[in-house]
Amino acid sequence: MSNEGYYFSDKVIVTNILNGNIQGFAIVIKNTEKLVTQIVSKMTINEDDQKDLMQDIYLKAYQNLSSFQFKSKLSTWIANIAYNTTINYLQKRKIPVIGIANTIEEKFIATENPESATIKTEAVEILNAAIAKLPPLYKTLITLYHLEELPNKEISEITNLPEGTIKSYLYRARIILKDNINHHYKSEQL
Amino acid sequence: MNSIHLTDEMLQAYLLKEIHDDSIVTHLTVCSTCKDRVEEYRFLIDSVQKIETETFSFNVTALAMNNIMRYAKRKSKKQELTFWGLLIFLLIAISSFSIPFIPRILAIFYSQSILTILLVIGTGLVVLLFLVADITRQYKTKKDKIFKNNLQPIL
Ligand SMILES: [Zn+2]
Repeated sequence: MSNEGYYFSDKVIVTNILNGNIQGFAIVIKNTEKLVTQIVSKMTINEDDQKDLMQDIYLKAYQNLSSFQFKSKLSTWIANIAYNTTINYLQKRKIPVIGIANTIEEKFIATENPESATIKTEAVEILNAAIAKLPPLYKTLITLYHLEELPNKEISEITNLPEGTIKSYLYRARIILKDNINHHYKSEQL
Repeated sequence: MNSIHLTDEMLQAYLLKEIHDDSIVTHLTVCSTCKDRVEEYRFLIDSVQKIETETFSFNVTALAMNNIMRYAKRKSKKQELTFWGLLIFLLIAISSFSIPFIPRILAIFYSQSILTILLVIGTGLVVLLFLVADITRQYKTKKDKIFKNNLQPIL
């Protein structure tokens, strides 16, 4: 039921734009901006690049709108464009998408200095720092699953990865995060 | 007590309710090691959900729309140029082809009486008017079809 609702409103919006109402695309951007932002911001750092990427993603979506088949939600389709565009950007810059999982030692150095150890940091802040250190793809998957609360199937449509792969990446990412948090608290107690 | 501890995968799946296994629950009640580990994961998952979603400092909609409008303008300008270019080319081509025939067509009229010429011109005008009216009517029907009916999406 809710899916049909999505498809219906998507169809109205898309038809309106294809009939020549370019300004109608602003609604599409407003509806998908949050999700696309999560993908781009988790995989990139430089703000100028982020601006370029956001413009690129939505221009691609606009140019290819007539080929959208309504087989998924419009937001999923655009998130897929966002994901592919960002992955392309990372590959051009030779930034590893998964990379070598960050070692705990690295994190340890970051929290070792006495100043940060004495300040009682909020759990969320520690976690934010730990997530920031994850490889780009892990970061994105954790965000899509836990923050955007998307089901595995939808994440699979966005990233073109099999659901099993997503599950195992998420599982590995959580182990890294848990170990990082444990290390932080242990070093704080010392 | 079971000497084999639960794997991290099992602990995560249990917390995320991906699996429902009584043996996990039983093990957690007797094994303090695994109980501690599951609590660590619970803490992690609870904290992750408390993180606020990131937003950009710039206005995404304005930025992206500007870019799209620029693109659309460029595209429509190009289309317009192509249209007029083709039209002018066709006009020149047709008129240059018809130049040799003009004296011969005029020759037909020289030999006729004024009444016949007027009749011919009159018939020609009526046919032309009829054609123009028909084209306009067709254009209107098609325009209505495209711009009115499509607002109601075909499902
Ligand atoms: Zn155990």
